[in-house]
Amino acid sequence: MSAAPPDNDVLWARGIVKSHHGTPALRGISLGVREGEVLAVTGPRGSGKSTLLACLSAQLPVDEGEVWFNSSPVHTLTRAGRERLRRDRFGFVGSEPHLVPELTARENVALPLLLAGAGNKAAYTAADEWLERLDVGDVGRQRPDRLVQSQRQRVSVARALAPLPPVVFADDPTAPLHREAADQVLRILTSAARSHQLTLVLATHDPELVRFADRAVALVDGRLTAPAAPVPRGTAVSAASGASAVTAVRR
Amino acid sequence: MFYLRLARGYRVPDLGRWLLTALAAAVVAAFLLRSLGRAMSDRIGDADPLVRLLWCLPPLAAVAWFAAVAARAVPARRPERIAGLTAAGAGSRRIRTLIAGEVALACTLGSVLTLLVFLVLRNDIAGPSLAPDLGMGVPLPAAAPVTLLALVPLTAGLAAACAVPATEARPGGRTPHGTGFAAWRIALPTGLVVIGAALELIALRPGAAADGRPVHLPAGLGTTSTAALGGWAAGALGLALLTGPLLAWAGRLLALGRPTPLRLLAGRGLTAQAPRLGAPLAVLTLAVALVLTTVRYWIGTPDSADALPAVEACLVLGCTAAAVAVRLAEVRSDRRDVAEALLRLGTSPRLLFGAVALRTLAVGTTLLLTGGATAALAAAGLR
Repeated sequence: MSAAPPDNDVLWARGIVKSHHGTPALRGISLGVREGEVLAVTGPRGSGKSTLLACLSAQLPVDEGEVWFNSSPVHTLTRAGRERLRRDRFGFVGSEPHLVPELTARENVALPLLLAGAGNKAAYTAADEWLERLDVGDVGRQRPDRLVQSQRQRVSVARALAPLPPVVFADDPTAPLHREAADQVLRILTSAARSHQLTLVLATHDPELVRFADRAVALVDGRLTAPAAPVPRGTAVSAASGASAVTAVRR
Repeated sequence: MFYLRLARGYRVPDLGRWLLTALAAAVVAAFLLRSLGRAMSDRIGDADPLVRLLWCLPPLAAVAWFAAVAARAVPARRPERIAGLTAAGAGSRRIRTLIAGEVALACTLGSVLTLLVFLVLRNDIAGPSLAPDLGMGVPLPAAAPVTLLALVPLTAGLAAACAVPATEARPGGRTPHGTGFAAWRIALPTGLVVIGAALELIALRPGAAADGRPVHLPAGLGTTSTAALGGWAAGALGLALLTGPLLAWAGRLLALGRPTPLRLLAGRGLTAQAPRLGAPLAVLTLAVALVLTTVRYWIGTPDSADALPAVEACLVLGCTAAAVAVRLAEVRSDRRDVAEALLRLGTSPRLLFGAVALRTLAVGTTLLLTGGATAALAAAGLR
């Protein structure tokens, strides 16, 4: 039996190995993520960032090793257990928005809350407020095919944040955005994480975006190449002061 | 040669589609050759050969319809192949030609096989009962079967070429699918249904028997009045065209009020897919309604059943059902990303399955209404 993870780590991985059809993607990654911290996982394309996030967020089962969330094992969970964990505890933003095309923007944002059993009114109020915060409140009743790519990505960020999950995973969320929009989205993402004490795991191939994180780890060819490097306090973006009170359904 | 190399990468659904196209083409070719054999055996100046040739049109149209729906689905079903071809420099025109060529090749194979069987049977192998159908004892002009059999691959190939949209032939170039119907798409079929119902009422009014029944129906269906036939035709066309909008409305009805995630996903999904599912489902419903009405008439009227229309009906039903299956597979492939995104959100597969089941129930109810009305109009005309 393995040792229990440290108490202050909300996510903890030890020696995780994952292959895609025989091609190794992760070769023994050990990592701890503290509660409320913004952790950046950097590395070039193909280094295994997306696979690491997929394993940590219970989307992919690991081949070897352990993943723990809040001192509970994730690697031994059944498929249904992993679905429940993703729905109730995790939020995810990908490099593509992956919105449901037939639903409007606000329905897309409200969907995770509805799936978790929230009432219609609470779900749509939270959706409207998050859309407003991400400057896409005016397109809430539009379908995704009517929106430009940056608006779609903001809706996707709102969808991940609206249920206020304890951990949000963001896999290259600024990939489809221009620099200005990317900075704004990341600022909102990190400030929301800090103001609501959410843990944010951010994968990016852009070393400049590390300034938004509290800590950064580098990944090359499926291995961590450097120990957890603290980001200088002065360069990290601080939590937004007096963030608007968002009505969210927190379980 | 290039095409054959591509064909090496075929999976079971591709082979199934290919074989079904070839089989359907073989049956249509058999109908065409039978009409040729009969024309050679009959006296010159008889009007029957033309009628027999016209009877080959419904199965030919069914094959072309299936070919068109299947060709349209190729870019969605095999995006990696289209991406590879595009990366290798093939433009949308060449991709369209390749898909149409594949359909034409399958049809040619089916037609050639039928021709070979026809020629072998003509060589004094078939019994005397088949002799008039094969034109035995009469010299066969070489151009006649070749011209007739070229019809099948040509029609199916052209239908396939027209069906592949240029934007969809390019990876990533899929057009957004609208969820609404233009006003004329609702007004026109509604008008047709109203006209059809009015004509049927005229045909069924007391004293309508005095108008007579001058129209002779095929497949042993007896006679009917002009108003009844016109009423059925207008009503059936209107109901078929109205299927898409009705499905979209059924979807809106499902997601009415404050929907649960199940109703929301089922209803909005149905509304979004209605423009794509409407046409193949309408054609299948029309075919099923027509066949059921015919079978019911045959059962109620002794000695009216006919073998050849029955075979034709089977072919038409097979092609229309296969077209629906292909379109469903296309929609499913297109929505793979959405399903993955929903699963990533933690949506349980049971909820997704429930949404599909609810959508199927709504579609079934809608089709039962349109199909039932089509069959009722046809049955009223046969009374």
